[in-house]
Amino acid sequence: MKAAPPARRVLATTAAVLLALAGLVACGSDDASSGSDATLTVDTSFVVKSLDPGVVYEPTGNVVVHALYDTLVTFDGADISKPVGDLAKSYQASDDAKTFTFTLRDDAVFSDGTPVTSADVVFSLNRLKNLKGSAATIVKNLTVTAPDEHTVVVTSSVADPNIPIMLTMPAASVLNSKVAKEHGGVDGENAATADKLSNYLNTTAAGSGPYVIESFDAASRIVLATNPKYWGTKPAFGRVVFQNMDIQNQKLTLSKVPTAEIALDLSGSSLDGLPTELQQTSSPSVYYQLRLDADPAISKATSNPKWVAALRAAMDYQGIADLFGPGGEPAAGIVPTAYAGALPASEAQKQDLAKAKQLLAESGVGDQSVKLLYPALTFGGVDLGTITAKVQSDAAKAGIKLELDPAPIASFLDQRKAGKVPMSFSPQQLNYPVAASQVSDLMPGGADAMKAGWTEERADPATVAAGKKVLATLDPADQVKALQDWQRLMREHSPYITLAYNSGVLVASPDLTGATYTAAGWTVDVADIGHS
Amino acid sequence: MTGGTLGADPVDLTPDRAPDTDAGAPHAVHRRRALARFVGRKVLITIGLLVGVTVVTFLLVQLVPGDPTATNLSETAQNDPAIVAAYRAKWGLDKPLVVQYFTYLGNLVHGDLGVSQSTGDSVLSDLAKYVPATLEIAIPAMVLSLIISVAVGLWAAVRKDRAADHAIRGGALLGLSTPSFWLAIVLLYVFFYVLGIAPNGGRLSAKYAPPEHITGMYTVDALLTGRPTVFWDAVWHLALPVLVLTCLTVSALIRFVRSAMLEVLDQDYITAATAKGLPRRVVLRRHVLRAGLVQVITVSGLAFASLLSGTVLIEQIYSWPGVGQYAYRAAVNLDLPAIMGVGLFVALVYTLVNLAVDLLYGVIDPRIRLS
Repeated sequence: MKAAPPARRVLATTAAVLLALAGLVACGSDDASSGSDATLTVDTSFVVKSLDPGVVYEPTGNVVVHALYDTLVTFDGADISKPVGDLAKSYQASDDAKTFTFTLRDDAVFSDGTPVTSADVVFSLNRLKNLKGSAATIVKNLTVTAPDEHTVVVTSSVADPNIPIMLTMPAASVLNSKVAKEHGGVDGENAATADKLSNYLNTTAAGSGPYVIESFDAASRIVLATNPKYWGTKPAFGRVVFQNMDIQNQKLTLSKVPTAEIALDLSGSSLDGLPTELQQTSSPSVYYQLRLDADPAISKATSNPKWVAALRAAMDYQGIADLFGPGGEPAAGIVPTAYAGALPASEAQKQDLAKAKQLLAESGVGDQSVKLLYPALTFGGVDLGTITAKVQSDAAKAGIKLELDPAPIASFLDQRKAGKVPMSFSPQQLNYPVAASQVSDLMPGGADAMKAGWTEERADPATVAAGKKVLATLDPADQVKALQDWQRLMREHSPYITLAYNSGVLVASPDLTGATYTAAGWTVDVADIGHS
Repeated sequence: MTGGTLGADPVDLTPDRAPDTDAGAPHAVHRRRALARFVGRKVLITIGLLVGVTVVTFLLVQLVPGDPTATNLSETAQNDPAIVAAYRAKWGLDKPLVVQYFTYLGNLVHGDLGVSQSTGDSVLSDLAKYVPATLEIAIPAMVLSLIISVAVGLWAAVRKDRAADHAIRGGALLGLSTPSFWLAIVLLYVFFYVLGIAPNGGRLSAKYAPPEHITGMYTVDALLTGRPTVFWDAVWHLALPVLVLTCLTVSALIRFVRSAMLEVLDQDYITAATAKGLPRRVVLRRHVLRAGLVQVITVSGLAFASLLSGTVLIEQIYSWPGVGQYAYRAAVNLDLPAIMGVGLFVALVYTLVNLAVDLLYGVIDPRIRLS
């Protein structure tokens, strides 16, 4: 028989390979693991395309870029009420809230040791503006100049007391202009087509922040290492590993109470059953809103103010908030409670079915069914289909017929953008932590309102005036009050029905300190996290 | 009774007998030419197929409701016409569709698959990064699946209609009916959360830096760069996704193997071989298995291609950054260059696998080689 020997040879070869492998392992030196005991692991479902501050706007990108770069001003921990100095040691606002003068600190240096100068700030903010990416909206009205090496003057074409807050955002990070230019960075008006810096910034951070990039893979993990030349307080963890992980996996991982690990996406029902030793911090920063089209050509029902009011009265706001778990709150106005300008919880909207039925009868719309478009996805740990099913059920109790219309996110965004949708539902977040920024979009004639067919002619004049007052008020405290007045009117006379607020939640292992959720826009400052 | 004449052919009982050397030389030249013609024809078909794929994919992406600006720009940015215009100009979306298509095709001829709107990197370098990750789970899963399904399928065929056969068929049916994502989640729960013997996903533990990129497969690269600890950590991370893929592929293959082997077992030449007094082990291994493998290879080729292109859910659950996740992100972001790149990759995989299967037929079955 001749078949057996070759088979034996194969077996012998396989065994030899395995033995060699085992030998290699036995003889191999201990692998360089880059300081495993000082590694902080951040579990999050990645939403990131680039680590270039000029184009970053997604949640994961914001967390990472905030750790890599400094901005002129920032927030102290989770306190987002007032910006504090970062690269700027002080700033001064003009009375007309159009000119802001920042004085830079002397000791800040980039990761290559080069001092941070006003020219770097001018380059970075001009590049951000001229790249015309998503983040460019925050600086589109700004002009930046540098009278001397340590002074930056930011001028806005529109009076806005909140300019310093906008400049806390990771997109407004300051790049090392010399390094940036060497690698294709352009800050001129042609930056949108001429700039070639982004790919370089995905592998090398040209910033002055506490960390630098060790590796970047937008699909699996991002690793940061400490910046050896960091000018501020050295972070406790020498290495931060962001792992791309879905929510269920994050829950399983944190349920085992690991050490030096945090999860960024557990929210709503996904928090149920987590071990009590874990730390949880949160802040209601997301609002869930129905948008109804005010154009009769789109829908006779949603353009009928009484039908809208009937729907508003039919909603069980507390019941909807309960679907979000402990972080859910019934909406009082539009602005979530994390931000200045939110209405007090005592003003939370309540269900009134009798009123809803009466208003429906007065509307004359009858039992006409209206399609409710929503993105078929889970957001903040809650399936949006569950929320819309509750909306449909509440509406039905008042005799209002809604037809659920789930759509893939791309289709949803496209339809909503086209502005031909009678009714849609989606979660909303602020672009930066200034509630007044929503007003210009949502007030009649604003970009979002126009997509809902809400023109000034179709709007209540008092509501329009209240919106204009918010934008014209320059004193922050007065602006907060104006914002609250505007929301009270919007609650009664707008095509928006805000249903609930939900918290972003940061879950951290028990051994960590300073792992605090912030509504600032970067979720957490990983450089602030330490060992207990 | 089928194939009676084949069974009567004594050559089939000694398939590895060396041909006559005098007559063999011209015959070998003829065979090499035939093989070259065959491969050449396949290459031409592949090129045509790939061009066809670009047309179909391009048209399908245009038909999908959705605008790349809506998925790639923030909602506020979409309200700014200057930003939208800059985005469209940057990605060539402001040009007529025909121009966009032929620009793409022109670049493709030069090996340029374009730049992904999702990653900002060239699609080619993205694929070079993500395909090895998928290969790293697909290859071991396929090898294990073949070994298990051939052994178990043959065993079931030999024990046709006995308890073991019923159990194996039932098990295969159960495996086929099990949703892949469910199995993946359950295994993760059991092996990671309950037993604590598996990692929670990813390709490597957070404490290790990936090995230097040589092949893109961490296990191989770790060995090549002399990092055994990283090698074993990478193997540890492979275990669960490979187990899930193996379970699913075995379930699909076993039934084919069993029926293929049953068909061969019914042949007269098997009866003749047994009657000649050959040991049963030899009959099964040299005559039944070899003949039955032709059909098995066809199905295995498709299964392997499917593993390379259809592991989206498994990759998602195990945070495995392979081509499936890349395709998913491309689709969600309406990232046309990436979608086209993945489409071409999948078409190429199926074509190459089919070519390999065609060539393997000849290796396994001399009758096909001679024809």
